[in-house]
Amino acid sequence: MTTAIASAYPASVAASAPVTDTAPIHIAAHGIAVEFSLNGRRQRVLHDINLSVPKGSFVSLIGPSGCGKSTLLKVMAGLVQPVEGTVTVAGLAPQEAARRRMIGLVFQDATLLPWKNAVENAAFLLMTGNTNVKRADAMARAAEMLRLVGLEGANDKMPSQLSGGMRQRVAIARALALDPEVLLMDEPFGALDAITREEMSQCLLDIWERTGKTIVLVTHSIDESVFLSREVHVMGTGPARIIETLPITLPHPRTEESFADPAFTRAEARLRSLLIESHRTRGTGK
Amino acid sequence: MSTPYLAANESAEPARSWLADAGRGLSAILPPLALLIATLVLWEIAIRLFKVPTFVLPAPSAIVASLIESRAALLVAAKATAIEVLFGFVLAGVVGVAVALVIVRFERFGRALYPLVVLFQTVPKVALAPIFILWFGYDLAPKILLIVVIAFFPVAIDMLAGLQSVEPSFVALMRSVGASKTEILRRVRIPHSLPHLMAGLKVAITFSVIGAIVGEFAGASAGLGYVIQFASTQLDTPLVFAALVVVSVLGLVFYYLVELAERLLVPWAPKFDLMHRS
Repeated sequence: MTTAIASAYPASVAASAPVTDTAPIHIAAHGIAVEFSLNGRRQRVLHDINLSVPKGSFVSLIGPSGCGKSTLLKVMAGLVQPVEGTVTVAGLAPQEAARRRMIGLVFQDATLLPWKNAVENAAFLLMTGNTNVKRADAMARAAEMLRLVGLEGANDKMPSQLSGGMRQRVAIARALALDPEVLLMDEPFGALDAITREEMSQCLLDIWERTGKTIVLVTHSIDESVFLSREVHVMGTGPARIIETLPITLPHPRTEESFADPAFTRAEARLRSLLIESHRTRGTGK
Repeated sequence: MSTPYLAANESAEPARSWLADAGRGLSAILPPLALLIATLVLWEIAIRLFKVPTFVLPAPSAIVASLIESRAALLVAAKATAIEVLFGFVLAGVVGVAVALVIVRFERFGRALYPLVVLFQTVPKVALAPIFILWFGYDLAPKILLIVVIAFFPVAIDMLAGLQSVEPSFVALMRSVGASKTEILRRVRIPHSLPHLMAGLKVAITFSVIGAIVGEFAGASAGLGYVIQFASTQLDTPLVFAALVVVSVLGLVFYYLVELAERLLVPWAPKFDLMHRS
């Protein structure tokens, strides 16, 4: 098991996962604006968003519901077209990056296919589109990813036999199977209970440290964002924008003890006050 | 009979859970069966007590007697009806699935087709029976056609609902890695729609039996509908009821055949089982 992962991800990457601040910019957004039409009226859901994510970093987007953080993630994934501004993922337009399988996506809902077992689900996107990937290769790769997310021995399990946390692990394995450069996650643990959330957070951190992927996480949870990220972008509404970018200085490796670290408490308090403030001004149009 | 019942009383070990299932099934069947028998007994007593003429309402015993007496004729009639139902049902399934697929795959044409399908559904199909007889004569064709127009609708609507209820975010994900509409349809929408399709087929099979009987009422020389009509003109009411019993049994058999197919083809489908509702 370990050898398979080690071969896929060299030890050097695993050891030096936390990136330096000089890492090249992997995702860059300049002056992004997004409009949706609602009842025939155009409504601006994102306004002048500037964001840069260094390669190999782990950043979170946090903000009150309806602040457009999921929309921003969709812009990075190429699923939503901005009306203004530019986004690049590894120097490419998001849609092109997605087509080249450089983007892995995980939603709040695992969206597994109920008629396929865990390994078939994990291999599904790998075999989607015009690919020359052989079925056997895709399945082997998917099985390897299931091991990576801690689902060893669950290959033949159907989604209905898996718990919510395990289904979400399969969804993460499905995204990782593409061997993407960036992993975009939209409240991936939002539907899970508190204990499972913490388990999944630890699992995700472990994956990040081993694979060195660039990860962008959209979350509601202050704890989660501090525990996982190197940087947290706090978003506010009216119009939706990034109100502050907070670097998280919590040392690595992060474990259960990290929750008691003064750096954790400081960051948490700062984020809480920012969120309360942005919540108070929400919908006032300021 | 006693073995599964005993198993049901024991703790439900995984290894013999099917036995426990059978036991639960049995205990679920018993109350309605008892009610049915009680109703039949009351019916029998009432007919004898109030001396109701047989041609108005026959006693259950008279119906059973008629069933036994006319079994050969009823069997021939049942076979004729069963053939109509089978052909009509299969064709209705094919038409229903085709309509749903066309609406989903060719969106623009679908937007034109869908309202017309719904509009057509508002036409009372039974009223078409005489026209079909006029066009196609007294043979199999008009009955099959009538079944198709009656039974394709639930198939089309349920299949359509299944095709369209795939998680939009998952469709977006597939598109983002370069999947075509056809690939999404083939690999996700169609498998996803199968449980819905089976639900539609279960409705369609009961409609098919109705369609066959109505078709035979309108003009036929064979089948259970023909027997019912013929017997009622002869005031042979016990035979009418006997034929009705056969129609019900036929409908039940067909229904459970579809349900069996569902269990085999889409084992992942959520079960809507009234008997085992937890």
